[in-house]
Amino acid sequence: MNIWFRQHRFALGAAFAQVRKAPGSFLFNVLVVAVALALPFAGVTLLDNVRPMSEQLSVDPEISLFMKTDAPREQAQALAPQLRQILASSRAKVSFVPREQALDNLKTRSGLGDVIETLGDNPLPDSYVMKLEGFTSRADAARVDGIAEQMRALPGVDSVQVDSAWVKRLAALLGVLRLVLLLLAITLGVVVIAVVFNTIRLQVLTQRDEIAVSKLLGATDNFIHRPFYYTGALLGLCAGAVALGAVSLALRPLNAAIAEFARLYASEFQLSALPPLGLAGLLAISAGLGLVGAMLSVQRHLARLN
Amino acid sequence: MIEFQSVSKKYSADALALNDVSFNIAKGELVYLAGPSGAGKSTLLKMIAAVERPTSGRVVVNGHDIGRIKRAGVPFLRRNLGVIFQQQRLLNDRSILANVMLPLVVTGAARGQAEQRARAALDKVGLLDRANALPLELSGGEQQRAAIARAIVNRPQIILADEPTANLDRAAAGRVIDALRAFNSVGVTCMISTHDEQILDSGARVIRLEHGQLVEGAV
Repeated sequence: MNIWFRQHRFALGAAFAQVRKAPGSFLFNVLVVAVALALPFAGVTLLDNVRPMSEQLSVDPEISLFMKTDAPREQAQALAPQLRQILASSRAKVSFVPREQALDNLKTRSGLGDVIETLGDNPLPDSYVMKLEGFTSRADAARVDGIAEQMRALPGVDSVQVDSAWVKRLAALLGVLRLVLLLLAITLGVVVIAVVFNTIRLQVLTQRDEIAVSKLLGATDNFIHRPFYYTGALLGLCAGAVALGAVSLALRPLNAAIAEFARLYASEFQLSALPPLGLAGLLAISAGLGLVGAMLSVQRHLARLN
Repeated sequence: MIEFQSVSKKYSADALALNDVSFNIAKGELVYLAGPSGAGKSTLLKMIAAVERPTSGRVVVNGHDIGRIKRAGVPFLRRNLGVIFQQQRLLNDRSILANVMLPLVVTGAARGQAEQRARAALDKVGLLDRANALPLELSGGEQQRAAIARAIVNRPQIILADEPTANLDRAAAGRVIDALRAFNSVGVTCMISTHDEQILDSGARVIRLEHGQLVEGAV
């Protein structure tokens, strides 16, 4: 165990020594890799910020049934058994929303409480909100429309709205964005591996004599490979840190612009940096990409030296 | 300790480096490998160090069949060999001490212990006072002695020296050979290749190669 630890410490020291020998070249490579990493990291940060919003939105269809404003409360409440009968073959959660509660909700959620106060009478009707579960296919969508049609025929009903399409569109859009981000990450991951591959190739060539001598002195392949692996991982790690720093810096001006935009919708939405675990994960991925590039390069170029 | 049985080495169809070479070297022997340039001396030494493998025949070093040894086993075979090259092949970007420590570092020896043993090896070849110098600050003879220190620091059972006195003046060459003889006198098997007939000991065994064939010294 001690020998293993010592050899890894030696390899890490050798990697740092290599960086010290050519700091300018290392820094340049870090910047190139950081530029490649910054874009997917920015995408991950953006998705991480948007994901909680989209998760709060249900993609299950929601049917809102509005009574006529002059329909008495008793008539509205009497609809409940009929609604349950219509929904008997479906899993659904039925909630009655009295007009008073609807007004309160409007006041608190819209931020227009003062304006609504000036209305005097409550203009909102009693309503039902029915959340249907397990309706995901196109055929289900037709069923939902059929259910809504039956409800429209009930006495005292003013209108029925099926409210799920836009949520589905948003979910689909986020799915597309995730896929685009994944493809982008894969492409730029290959770029990172290629840059590290070339960096390590040059190092192997410049250290050819040292490698040959070390082998004749009894160095194992692992002993020779390790410093290059550490260099690759170090390059990836430093580039990851630079990329995350750049993304964090970019959030400030972006948030200033977003704040203006969000205020128009009475929202306080702001982009925030990833949580520590997410940052650590991205740094680990960066180091991992560097390691993979170094491993591929070492396997290829040292095999040629052998 | 070293056994060659009908060993041939072909690099290509018309490049036969060794042709049916057979000999044995016992533990603790001092053997000179003589012959003109291109006779196959370096190829023979490379086979002992498992740098080359025989095309035919059998090479056995310390009980390991070089033709069959697995790649992963080669470093452990080499750790029992001390190899001295014609061009010293010291690493010019680090001190003489660091160069001499290298065979111990590759085995995972503790730094303190490696440094202590490297200083002891440098003391044996009379270079302790130059431990912190860079290789290029040393004369050719000193560099070769530093290479000897690097070869013996691991306390090898066999020392292989490939033309260790080439490019050295007579006095420096004498000191290098004296150093190798001193290690042989404490039981280390030494094989020294040379094309310089003047450095051959009158009493020592000579294996002579010409055009890849053994012409003297087969036992």
